[in-house]
Amino acid sequence: MSDETTRLPDQFTEPGTGRRINLLDYQAANMRGSWYLAFFTLALLVAIAYLLAQVTDPGATIFFVGVAALIGVGQGVAGFWFSDKIALAASGARPATVEEHRYLVNVSEAVAIGAGVPMPKVYVIDSPAPNAFATGRDPEHSSIAVTTGLLELLDRQELEGVIAHEMAHIRNYDIRFMSMLVATLGAIVVLRDLVLRWSYFGGFGGSGRRSSRRDSSGGGGKGQGLALILLVVLLVLAPLLGALARMAVSRRREYLADAAGAFITRNPEGLASALEKLGNYSGERLQVSEGVRSLYFVNPERRMNATGLWATHPPIEERISRLRRM
Amino acid sequence: MGSLIVLIILIALALYAVSIYNRIVTYEKRYQNAWSQIDVQLKRRADLVPNLVETVKGYAAHEQQVFEEVARSRQAMMNAQSVNQSAEAANMMSAALGRLFAIAENYPQLRANENFLLLQEELSGVENKIAYARQFYNDAVMQYNTLIETVPAVFLAGPMGKQPAVFLQIPEGDREVPQVSFSAPSGAPEA
Repeated sequence: MSDETTRLPDQFTEPGTGRRINLLDYQAANMRGSWYLAFFTLALLVAIAYLLAQVTDPGATIFFVGVAALIGVGQGVAGFWFSDKIALAASGARPATVEEHRYLVNVSEAVAIGAGVPMPKVYVIDSPAPNAFATGRDPEHSSIAVTTGLLELLDRQELEGVIAHEMAHIRNYDIRFMSMLVATLGAIVVLRDLVLRWSYFGGFGGSGRRSSRRDSSGGGGKGQGLALILLVVLLVLAPLLGALARMAVSRRREYLADAAGAFITRNPEGLASALEKLGNYSGERLQVSEGVRSLYFVNPERRMNATGLWATHPPIEERISRLRRM
Repeated sequence: MGSLIVLIILIALALYAVSIYNRIVTYEKRYQNAWSQIDVQLKRRADLVPNLVETVKGYAAHEQQVFEEVARSRQAMMNAQSVNQSAEAANMMSAALGRLFAIAENYPQLRANENFLLLQEELSGVENKIAYARQFYNDAVMQYNTLIETVPAVFLAGPMGKQPAVFLQIPEGDREVPQVSFSAPSGAPEA
């Protein structure tokens, strides 16, 4: 059954825009995008390291660039091979056993059969806040995690809808792209924090003096001053751009996964009603770190389910109404 | 020169025909595999049935009719030779089990029995998987039939002796709610 493209139709109408999407193209774009991200990160890290070297110690350029390249390659490899384990560990997920979670395992097996994907590994997160996410690098190495709150809140058809939504992410290779994105952003954030902390402790002291001297003498500090400005711009902009890109793409992803999930179960109402229940939930929140927030079925930070530039997820009401119009 | 062009065209046509041939075979394998997936679940269900009947008998021994019905459908399942016979027996069993679980509703002690609850969840899980596997099978059959009935594959399918495959009938009301699942998800976590 590992034969590709058994289940979902090749053509899919993007909900909302009505555009036809070829799912095979979409998958290919996700895989290509994963590579672009890895190279983008590598290039960015190397650029930052180079500028950093110019500002502080031009003699050590090779060392700085070398370290940055290592970090860049490392994060790419980690994003591909380990980000599922990291995401699962970070959310405190534990494997769902047949004995303890027979219901969840049965539902997942059934939906996997319907979706034509291998059975993903299923995990449970002990939290009353209802939510779920999928991670991994391809359908053969994929995991789905759901919270205990989700299991308690939803009935069987609603749970099927949520699981089918996650299976659609797996099928579309969204999981690989998102994993790489999370790893990329993680690397940038770590780098930014490193540089910021280091600068507090006077790392830029020398260059600061040099650039002020530049005003009077107009000497050799000019190049370094420029590098410093560029560096600051890069450090401030990089995470911002990354975050914006991530949010924009993941909103489209959610709509498409909703549509594909509804197609797998042939029951849009199950997913719509699950979303409704999750939208009305007002209990304890799920503690999720910034980096993996966009992986989740609904945004763990409720106030960020709003519309606008900063939303990682489309508004729940809009998702429901699109499903009910299907 | 002219013969070379003819030769190239012939080779291209032959390669094209081979690719169509492969596609037909791939799609055929696909729906046949899809059937085996249903078969696995049907066997699993048939294996669970005797255990369930024993459990229910402990509380509702006099409901002979439904037990016989379940036994008959299981026998039909075991004797099925073709896809059609299996599918028919499977529908029979779904109906019989549906009735059995409906009767079980009248026995509160039975419904509190842990073994019964476990079997109920297992069976509704299997029932659900059968429904999805059947949906998957029908999709694969549709792709296959569409392929061999349209140009260009239709020109090869005839000489290859390929016939359209038959869809599995979905019993009425079976797909929407799995028959043996009742309101409260019995396997929901206790924690």
